[in-house]
Amino acid sequence: MARNDLQGSLDLLVLKTLSQTGELHGYGVVLHIQKASDEVLQVEEGSLYPALHRMEQSGWIRSEWKLTETGRKAKYYRLTAAGRKQLLEAEESFEQLVKGVRAVLRYA
Amino acid sequence: MPGFRRILNLFSRSRLGQEIDDELQSHIEMRIADNLAAGMTPEEARRDALLRFGNPALMKERVRTVDAAVALETVWRDLHYALRRLLRSPGFTLTAVLSLALGIGANTVVFSVVNALVLRPLPVEHPERLVFVETSTGITQSFPNYRDLRDRNTTLAGLAGYRIVPMEVEASGGATRIWGLLATGNYFDLLGVRPALGRFFRPEEDLHPGASPYAVLSYSAWRSRFGGDPGIVGKTIRINRLPYTVLGVAAPDFHGTELWYRPDVWVPMMMEPQIEAHPDAGWLNNRNTWDTWVIGRLKLSASRAQALANLNTIAAELAREHPKENEGLRLRLATPGIAGDYLGGPTRAFAMGVLGLAALVLLAACANLASLLTARSADRQREIAIRLSIGAGRARVVRQVLTETLVLSLAGGTAGCALALALTRAISRWRAPLGFPVQFDVSLDWRVFSFAFVVSLLAGALFGFTPAWRAAKTEAGAVLKGAPATWGRSRLAFRDVLVVLQVALCFVLIACCLVSLRGLQEAVGMRLGFEPQGVSLVSFDLGLAGYPEAKSRAFQQRVLAAVKNLPGVASAAYSNSVPLSIDQSTTVVSPDFSAPSQHSDTTSANYYEISPGYLEVMGTRLLAGRDFTWHDDDNAPQVAIVNASFAQQVMRSRNPVGKRFHNGRNGPLVEVVGMVENGKYESLTESPRPALFWCILQQFNSTTTVEVRSSLPATQMVNEVRRTVAQFDPRLPMYGTGSLNQMLGFAFLPTHAAAVALSAFGLLAIMLAVTGVYGLVSYSVARRVREIGIRIAVGARPAQVLRLVLGRVVVLLAIGSGLGLVLALAAGQVLASVVYQSSPRDPGILAAALGAMALFGLLSSCPPAYRALRIDPLAALRCE
Repeated sequence: MARNDLQGSLDLLVLKTLSQTGELHGYGVVLHIQKASDEVLQVEEGSLYPALHRMEQSGWIRSEWKLTETGRKAKYYRLTAAGRKQLLEAEESFEQLVKGVRAVLRYA
Repeated sequence: MPGFRRILNLFSRSRLGQEIDDELQSHIEMRIADNLAAGMTPEEARRDALLRFGNPALMKERVRTVDAAVALETVWRDLHYALRRLLRSPGFTLTAVLSLALGIGANTVVFSVVNALVLRPLPVEHPERLVFVETSTGITQSFPNYRDLRDRNTTLAGLAGYRIVPMEVEASGGATRIWGLLATGNYFDLLGVRPALGRFFRPEEDLHPGASPYAVLSYSAWRSRFGGDPGIVGKTIRINRLPYTVLGVAAPDFHGTELWYRPDVWVPMMMEPQIEAHPDAGWLNNRNTWDTWVIGRLKLSASRAQALANLNTIAAELAREHPKENEGLRLRLATPGIAGDYLGGPTRAFAMGVLGLAALVLLAACANLASLLTARSADRQREIAIRLSIGAGRARVVRQVLTETLVLSLAGGTAGCALALALTRAISRWRAPLGFPVQFDVSLDWRVFSFAFVVSLLAGALFGFTPAWRAAKTEAGAVLKGAPATWGRSRLAFRDVLVVLQVALCFVLIACCLVSLRGLQEAVGMRLGFEPQGVSLVSFDLGLAGYPEAKSRAFQQRVLAAVKNLPGVASAAYSNSVPLSIDQSTTVVSPDFSAPSQHSDTTSANYYEISPGYLEVMGTRLLAGRDFTWHDDDNAPQVAIVNASFAQQVMRSRNPVGKRFHNGRNGPLVEVVGMVENGKYESLTESPRPALFWCILQQFNSTTTVEVRSSLPATQMVNEVRRTVAQFDPRLPMYGTGSLNQMLGFAFLPTHAAAVALSAFGLLAIMLAVTGVYGLVSYSVARRVREIGIRIAVGARPAQVLRLVLGRVVVLLAIGSGLGLVLALAAGQVLASVVYQSSPRDPGILAAALGAMALFGLLSSCPPAYRALRIDPLAALRCE
C-alpha cells in the first residue's frame, strides 16, 4: 500500500479535480475542492503550491501561463498521461485506506 | 528541454523566485477579487485572503525547495548512472578520455600561445591606439628621420623610439652583461605606464647627447640584481663603467612593447654613444644608420589610415630633402608586439594556422568518439526502447545519454588542462641558449581556462549529439519487434569520409615526423664549414667596458698569448663572432669593375673579423691561398679571405686568390688572399651563401669571442680561459661561454622543435586513426550481428566473414593512404624550409609510412574482427 498519508490524499484531490475540470489554476483547484466537498475539506490554500510543483516535477501534471476570464494572468495545470495513471493508482490506494479505516472503526 | 531548464533554474534563483511569486500573488488577488464581489470592504477582503492562504513567504520557500530538490536528484541520478556505465567499460572510457585529453590539451596549449601573441593586450594604456611605424623595406628608422616624423606629424599624440642594446652593469654580484632598451624621453609617457617605485625619465631629460645619465630598472632586475633594495631610487649604478642615477623601477608586468624581449634596464636615447660603445655607434645624427624602432600613439581624432597618409606625406618630404638616404621611403603601420609586421605578421598567421590544425585534430577526435559511442549504443537501443515503452519521456532518455558524454568531455577537458599546464610551464620557463632574454609568457590565464572549458563542452555536445539524436528517434515498437537495428544505409556515409580523412592526416603526420627525424639525423652529421667538436668559446665586449681602440687591441692580443700558453690548449684564436651564433652581420660587396668582362651587381655577404689562426682552430678548410698573418695589419694592404660561394657568385672565378673586389657599392678595392670551404652561417637550412673574412687587425672590432681547441672537457677549458681573462681585468663581464656545440643548440633549435612537435602530433594522429578504424569496424560488426550469425549458420568460412567485415575498411584505408601520400609530398615543400635536408620524396620514408598505416589498420581492426568471428549464430538469431 503506497503513500496512505495526508500528502497522498492532497495529491489525490488535486489529480481528481484536474481530471474532472481539464485545466485549472491553483485558486480554481481550491475553490473546486471546497465546493465539491460542501465546504467540509478546508486546505490551507498556500500549501497547495508545493504539492502542485512536486507533481509537476514528477511529470503527472503540466503547467502553462494563461489569462483568466477576467483577464488576470494565472498558471494553469492539466493532467498528463502519467498523471492519469497515477490518479488510478491513488484512487485504488485511497479505497484501500478507507476500507482499512472503516474496518477498524467498525471493530471498535 | 525541461532537464536543462531545471539545471538553469538552480543558477537563476531570482528569476525562478519571480515566477513563484507571480503564481502565489495571482492566487491571493483572485481571492481578494471574489471577497470584494461578496461584499467585503477592501481591508477585510485582503485580511481574509491572507488568512486563508497562510504565510506567503513560507509557502514560496517550500515551493522552491521542492523544485530544487527534484532537479538535483535527477541530475545526481543521471550522473550516477553515467559513471556506472562508463566504469563498466574501462577500455572505452580510457580511450575516450585520453584522446579527448590530447585533443583538448593540444588546443589549449596552442590557444595559450595565440593568447600570448595575439589576444592579450600589452599592459599599457589603450594598447589598441598604439601603432608600430616600419618602412616598406624594414623594421627600423634612422634617428634623424624619427625626429622629423615626431615633430612634423599632426595625427599622433606621440611618437617614441627605442633600441635593443646590451650593456655592462655593475651590481652586487659584480659586473654582468645584460640587455636593456635605449628609449626616447617620451617613451613612458606615451605608453602611459606607472612605475612600481620612483619615477620614469621625461622628455626634458633626453635632450642632449651624453647628458642624461639616468636609468630605470625592470622589476625583475631590481629584485634579482639589486636585492630588491627599497632605497634604490636616487642611488648611482655603473653602466659601461660610467655612473647613472636610478630614477625608478618599472611595474612587474611591464617588459616594454616587444612580447618576446625582456629588457632589464631602460636608459634615455641620448646616451646612445656611451651605451653602444662600438665603432658604428653615435648614430643619433646619422641618417644612414637605421637602428631606431618607432612606436606611436594615434590621436583620438585620427584614424589609422589618416595617420598613415600623414606620415607618408612627411616621408615624401624627407625623401626630397635627403635623397641620398631616403630615396623611395614609404612607411607602414603595424601592430606592435613582435618587431612590427615583418616578424609579427607571419608569427601570428603561423600561430592561427596551428590553432586551425589543432581544431581539426580535436574535431576528428570528436567524430571518432561519436562513432564509438554510436557503436556502443547499438546494444543500448533495446534498453532505450524498453524504457520509452514503459513511459520514460524522450527528453529524459536524451538527457541521460548527454550526461554520459558530458562526463566524458569534462574528464577529458580536465586531463587536457593538466597536460597544457605542464607544457606551458615548460615553455614559459624555457630560455633560448642565446645569452639574450628571449622569452614568451604563455602562462594560462582566465581566457585560456574558459577556452578549454568551452572547447570541452563543445566537444561533448559534438560527439554526444549523434547518439543522443538516435536515442530520441528510437522507434520503441519497431526495435522491440526485432527489426534489425540498421542505421545510415547511404553508400557514402559521413563516417567513411571521416575515416578516410583521418587516415590521410595520420599518414601525412607520420611521414612528416619520419622526414624530420631523418633530417635531424643528417643534420647532426652534416658539414657546417667548421669542426665544432673540441672547440670552447668565451666572449666579452671591450667597447661596453669603456676601452679605447688601441687598448682593446693590446688586450685582445695579450689574452690570446696567455690562452695559448694554457696547458691542454692545441690552438687558439679570436674573432668578433662565429657562424651560426645569433650575432651575424652582412655587408654589401661588388666585383672589380675595372677587370674585363665583369658584371656590376652588388651582393650581400656575411662577414667575420678574425685573428690569424682562426681557420685552424675552427677546423675550416683552406681550399686555396693562405691564412692571415700578424703582418696583415694597418700598415699592410687590405686583404680578405672568401668562401667558395663568394668566389663563384661575386668574382665569377674558381680561384679568386690575387683578384680584387669592392667593399661596399663603390668602396675600396680589397685583394683576396685565400679561399675556404662553404659553410652554414645563419641557419642550417640556408643554401650556400657568400661569406668573407676580414683580418681583425685591419678591421677592428671590440666585441671579442675567444676560440680554443683542446682535448680537455669544455667546462674545464672555459674556466681556465675565464680565469686568464680575469687576470687582465677582473671586472670584465664574460658571456656566451661554453662549447661550440652548446652554442649550436640555437641553430639546431628549429630542427629539434619541429621533430618534437611533429612526433607529438604524429602520436596524436596514430591514436586518432586507430580509434577511428576501431570504431568503424566495431560499428560494422555491431550492425550486422544478425547477418553474420546467419552466414555462419549456413556455413560461411572465417575468411568470408572477415571479408564481409573488413572489406570496406581496407578500401577506405587505401583511399586515405593515397590521399595522404599526395598531401605528404605537398607538406614536404613546407617542411624543407624548417628541417635540414628533408626529402619528402624519399621512397624509404613513404614506404615506412605506408607500412605503419597498414600495421595500425590491422591492429585496430583485430579486436572487433575477432568478435565477429566469435559470433554464436544461435545467440545472435535469438537475441535479435
